[in-house]
Amino acid sequence: MKKLIYLITMVIAFSGCTNDFEETNTNPYQISGESLKQDFNHVGAFYSSMLSQIFGNQVDHNLTNVTFAQHLATPTPFVGGVNNTTYYIRWNGYWAREYNNVMAPAKQVIDIAAADGYDVFVEWANLIRIVSMSRVTTYYGPILYTNYGSTGSALYDSEETLYNAFFSDLDRIISVFSANTDYVGLNNFDASYGGDVSKWARYANSLRLQLAMRISKVAPDVAKTQGEKAMADPVGLIETNADNFNISLYGAKFHPAQICFEWGDTRMSATMESILIGYKDNRIAPFFDPVTDMSLVTDHPDWPYKGIRNGAELVAKDDRLSFSTIDVSFNDPAKVTKRKVMSADEVFFIKAEAALRGWAGAGDAQANYEAGVRASFELWGAGGVDAYLADNTSLPIDYNDPVATGSVNDFVNQITTTVAWDEAASNEVKLEKIITQKWIAAYTNEMEAWVDYRRTGYPKLPPVYQNSSNSDWGIIPDGEAIKRMPFVNTEREGNAAGVADATAKLGGPDEIGTRLWWDTGGPNF
Amino acid sequence: MVKKLLLFFVLVFGTYPLLAQSKTVTGTVTDATDGSPLPGVNVLVQGTTTGSQTDFDGNYSIESESGNVLVFSFLGMKSQSITVGASNTYNVSMQEDAEQLGEVVVTALGIKREEKTLTYAQQTVRADELTATRDPNFMNSISGKAAGVEIKKSSSGAGGSTKIVLRGNKSLSGDSSPLFVIDGIPMANNKGGQPGMWGGVDAGDGLSAINPDDIESISILKGSNAAVLYGSQGANGVVVITTKAGKSGKTTVSLNSGYTFEHYLELPDLQFKYGANGNAKESWSTTPGDYQNSYVEEFFQTGHNFNNTVTVSGGNDKTTAYFSYGNISASGITPENKYQKNNFTFKQSTKMFDDKVTVTSSVIMALEETKNRLPAGYYLNPLTGLYMFPRQRNFYSFKDNYEVFDADRNLYTQNWFVVDHHQSNPYWIINKEPKTDENKRVIGSLSLEYDITEKLKLQVRGNYDYAVKEFEQQHAATSNSTNVHPKGAWDYRKYDDQLVYTDAILSYDTDLSENFSLNGVLGASYQKTVYGDGVSVNTGTIGLLYPNEFTFQNLPTNVQVSSTYDGSVIKQGAFANIQLGYKEMLFLDLSGRNDWASTLALTGNDSYFYPSVGVTGIISEMFTMPEAVSFGKLRASYTQVGNEVPFNRINPQNTISSNGGVDRNTVKPFLDAKPEIITSLEFGADWRFFQNRLGLDITYYSLTSKDQFIQVPLLQSESEGGYTTKFINAGEITNKGWEITLSATPIQTDDFQWVSAFNFTNNTNKIVDIGPDDDKVINLGSSEGYQSKLVEGGAFNDLYVLKFLRNDQGQILFDGGKPLRTPTTELVGNLDPDWTLGWNNNFSYKRFTLGMQINGKFGGNVFSQTESMLDGAGVSQRTADARDAGGVTVNGVDQTSGAAITTVDSETWFRAIGDRNGVGEAYVYDRTNIRVNQLSLGYNIDVSKLGLPISAASLSFIGNNLFYIYKDAPFDPELAMSTNQNAQGLDNFNLPSTGTYGFNLKVTF
Repeated sequence: MKKLIYLITMVIAFSGCTNDFEETNTNPYQISGESLKQDFNHVGAFYSSMLSQIFGNQVDHNLTNVTFAQHLATPTPFVGGVNNTTYYIRWNGYWAREYNNVMAPAKQVIDIAAADGYDVFVEWANLIRIVSMSRVTTYYGPILYTNYGSTGSALYDSEETLYNAFFSDLDRIISVFSANTDYVGLNNFDASYGGDVSKWARYANSLRLQLAMRISKVAPDVAKTQGEKAMADPVGLIETNADNFNISLYGAKFHPAQICFEWGDTRMSATMESILIGYKDNRIAPFFDPVTDMSLVTDHPDWPYKGIRNGAELVAKDDRLSFSTIDVSFNDPAKVTKRKVMSADEVFFIKAEAALRGWAGAGDAQANYEAGVRASFELWGAGGVDAYLADNTSLPIDYNDPVATGSVNDFVNQITTTVAWDEAASNEVKLEKIITQKWIAAYTNEMEAWVDYRRTGYPKLPPVYQNSSNSDWGIIPDGEAIKRMPFVNTEREGNAAGVADATAKLGGPDEIGTRLWWDTGGPNF
Repeated sequence: MVKKLLLFFVLVFGTYPLLAQSKTVTGTVTDATDGSPLPGVNVLVQGTTTGSQTDFDGNYSIESESGNVLVFSFLGMKSQSITVGASNTYNVSMQEDAEQLGEVVVTALGIKREEKTLTYAQQTVRADELTATRDPNFMNSISGKAAGVEIKKSSSGAGGSTKIVLRGNKSLSGDSSPLFVIDGIPMANNKGGQPGMWGGVDAGDGLSAINPDDIESISILKGSNAAVLYGSQGANGVVVITTKAGKSGKTTVSLNSGYTFEHYLELPDLQFKYGANGNAKESWSTTPGDYQNSYVEEFFQTGHNFNNTVTVSGGNDKTTAYFSYGNISASGITPENKYQKNNFTFKQSTKMFDDKVTVTSSVIMALEETKNRLPAGYYLNPLTGLYMFPRQRNFYSFKDNYEVFDADRNLYTQNWFVVDHHQSNPYWIINKEPKTDENKRVIGSLSLEYDITEKLKLQVRGNYDYAVKEFEQQHAATSNSTNVHPKGAWDYRKYDDQLVYTDAILSYDTDLSENFSLNGVLGASYQKTVYGDGVSVNTGTIGLLYPNEFTFQNLPTNVQVSSTYDGSVIKQGAFANIQLGYKEMLFLDLSGRNDWASTLALTGNDSYFYPSVGVTGIISEMFTMPEAVSFGKLRASYTQVGNEVPFNRINPQNTISSNGGVDRNTVKPFLDAKPEIITSLEFGADWRFFQNRLGLDITYYSLTSKDQFIQVPLLQSESEGGYTTKFINAGEITNKGWEITLSATPIQTDDFQWVSAFNFTNNTNKIVDIGPDDDKVINLGSSEGYQSKLVEGGAFNDLYVLKFLRNDQGQILFDGGKPLRTPTTELVGNLDPDWTLGWNNNFSYKRFTLGMQINGKFGGNVFSQTESMLDGAGVSQRTADARDAGGVTVNGVDQTSGAAITTVDSETWFRAIGDRNGVGEAYVYDRTNIRVNQLSLGYNIDVSKLGLPISAASLSFIGNNLFYIYKDAPFDPELAMSTNQNAQGLDNFNLPSTGTYGFNLKVTF
């Protein structure tokens, strides 16, 4: 009986002993909030993870906005050649990437930083939210921003509300940054500017200018107000390449290089070939690698580069693997350590357009235009910028696909403006020059190039050769280009009421042919 | 280690008292019912250590003195005693023991119960059935030998894992694998990684630590009713492995030695008539040629499997000991594939303190090494390049020169005709991207049994199970650039698995009155597992500092070396079981268990209780039955078992990312988690007729799994404060099915016996509720044409594929000359069979025995991505036949013009329906197959005439997986790419199924 009592005692002892359960159920190789407090990592350690998600992966970017902007093109006939690149939507992942990896952690990080009074960190996270969301909205239009993080089904913001929210949030962010330019708290966590708050303020202000120009046609008054505010703000704008906003690759390989060299899924676009070779643009060398098979470039053997048409008719991937890759230096993580989000050239081009639009403080259109081109040549280490800017004869060339039979995938160049500025030309011609150069300079950060193309119609890009759009996602008439991405399926199914409300705010069906708010379809001036 | 064990063994035996010289008594033991000789009867001189066993002819021989009492015992027979007198010969005829009819079986926690009293289904497979055909993965041998058990073996060959599911899949998010138990104690079975559509290698499971020759029997507790005493761990059923122990009496040494060779059963049907157009990697020329056609067959070789075990067993009435050493040395059907396993087992048991205390200890050690276990899937798989190689090219120039010297880099580089993510030179992969897996494992256990009184017993046990596993693949520079940096890649993982288990069980066995008996068990257990604690690194395409050096020093700074941790779990339980018997004919079984699980820490639900009640009635004892009925019983039981949530779901923390920052956890803490509850109801009948020559055992079960632990991605519009994912308890799955075993002895004469048994299984699975979101889809693996997903109203393992787009007349719609497909995947069937049947036959004629097992699976579907790829590449025979015929005949119509289409160009057709994103409908096959699974022909050698010190010897010819009687699919549908929950029924460049043939020699000294 004693043993029985002992056993029962033991049973009770067992059942009482659940003290170590919490520790047992914790992964010792994860890092707790408590441990992160050392060196203030509980606030700062999350920023690099959020920033490294601003650029998406192959399907989020390379096969979506990059191909829509026609910087790169794929040799691979994914899913029988019927996919995003031919306007049949198969991949729509950028939405979830940004919400899951930027918005969700930012929400928590802001709460932590605010609780401990780290104002600069709060606004830094708020700025990263705007970086992310101002990109996401270029895909979808109405998105979740002001209502993000609430419990229950939240409604999307209309684009008007969204941009106003961006601007007012930027007011607060810039004011906090301006008041804390000597703050050193970011130093350990900021791989972009080394903790220099004043440079972050300058980027935030440049972002305001970018967003203002986006809405210049649909809301010209707000655009002008915000644009002039940006150009007048003493924190300044990014006007030297030293101030460029880049996101560190944190030792990883430049992702498009992986897509290009490891997977063989991306190459130079035919449009890049047409424009760069036509304009005799020396940036082609730092951008792309020449082909080794000279039979591919019999139409321009002095410029041995060959691109693939966006939305091409493709049979086999192997057919065009020998076309121009991106420059091989991108494949070396020691050489390419960062990716640009905003550079001085873009600011100059925006200011050039602002000058055409009569915004105060924009300065001279030609000066800004040429400064933009020079900043880009400097950034890429290309020579011959003076001759380039003086060239008033060269035009982009027609494109011939040397693999496809007959005229398949070929196109005739539609661009009629040369590089050299012509002060006597119309605003429309001037705008075409500005946006065409802005398009070239946007290489490796194509998001705004797709925006500008939809907003202004420039550069005059060839339409996709193969148009697979149908009623599933909306029809793009032949000769025209995709306008947006549809709302994601999880939201369409799980938040039908919210998506219906967002579709009403969009002002058209939730299809790829519906124009976004700032894409008015009207004249540029 | 071996030396130490042997030394210890010798010491134990050194303590034996020397026996006095005496006379030799001999005789024959026969079965009283038919006079047939009884082999294996234990003969013991009462009160001494002297013992013997009858041989195959029922003959025994034992040293004894006049006045000694000889005790003859045999399972299922009444023990008999005779007193030795003047004679030297005593023949004994043994009576069947009706009381022992159901015989004693091992149930949960090692508790022994008479089978007839069980209130639930339990099926036992004897050792000889497991080891007869020497399958190196012994669990594969269970297939078809027990009803209600679904077994799939990995396509990865020797040392690979086995998928086992008892009574269907029960959990939406977790694993439905049963618990494995050795001698009452749970064993660690941490299954490593599994391949999927894109590649990967089977990392084996924990079962290989066991030497099949050490197994006495395997009991399968199919339902939670049987396994309730194991608590939540037993929710998916339990496989109870009972190992051999030393037997008192004469020391026996036996040697079991087998050799089998292994060959593939079939390869995909390939064409070698049409080559490629130009440099294309697909073979779509329409000009026939005379091309190399034997390099695919030549790639595969004959595998060899040597399997040797020596066991030593013996002891006296105080101490018994058992030692075995087993070795498996195998080479597979692909070049450079090798498998080595060494098992050591030592077990001893000693009685002390007037036999009131029994101390039993055992040590099992297993050392395994595998080289080049073959992967499945697209990537880094030698079979993709082998099968798809363009026909007009010279394969042998790549086989003989898989590497060529590159003067630019001053190193050897891969030689292959194309750069393509799917393909590499097969011989490069085999030789220059070698894989090694090493497992080292020790299981030590100690058990103390104390007979407090005759009725009251206490048992205390402890167990420590420790394994170190190491996986490594060294990809040489210039391996496939999709996965490997130009300087090479190193994929390395090393980790420990640990399990500590201890329990104490008090059992009480008494007759309350003349009519009532009571059998009670009260106990508590503690178990802690730590799985996957180690380190891993995979450089992939990031690179190495110096080519072809695979060390930590050679890692660039941007490679993240990770501490890995699969989880630690503490489970504590207190349990009780009472069995009340009335007149040996009616039994009531009540069980209850309370669990405390660390995985539910912080929820307040970490303590939970579940009950089980069962009743069994032996009808043949209650009522007078016709003479034909020898035994009949009915049983019913009801059980609830909780299943706790997986490790670290309640409050996960943040992770350090490869970019040096910290990824903020965005999984919402699940602070109100509850255990999943499986409710199980089971009815059964066990009837035997004609002196037990015909038996029928029928079980019907109905399982309901509720409060499933489901991961729900949070919509961005309901992020709840910055979270992306949450977990909920919801959902309901039911499994209902029949398990029927029909066993018969159709012929039984002095010389000839035929024993036959059918095992029938049918399980119907239904997803009744998938949670609050009725439209939720849980993906079990999808890629391109193939998709297996869970939806409400569907079933586990439903198969969805892209189909042809057809008009109302069933004609395939065409556009631009190409067939159209449905925009989304559609349901075409289920990957699980409707029912399965195993048919086991054992014939014995004089000294010959013949065993044959036929397994059949009926209904269900499987899917072949391999065939789709081979069609797209123009290398399947189908594509050659189509080209021979001038195109593919179809019943189609152009969707715009309405013009009928009857013939399609072969290349257009197969490129449209095959390749990566084809029309899956064309590659769905019926899973139904019937095969001769095992065959063994044995001969028991008459050792008495040999004049050698051998007490028994047998030689047998054996075969596994011999041939199909019927099969629809172009591959073995029972071979699993993955033995996890995902990617079932999928063939994507899996290793072909193999048959093994050989012989086995068993000698007992």
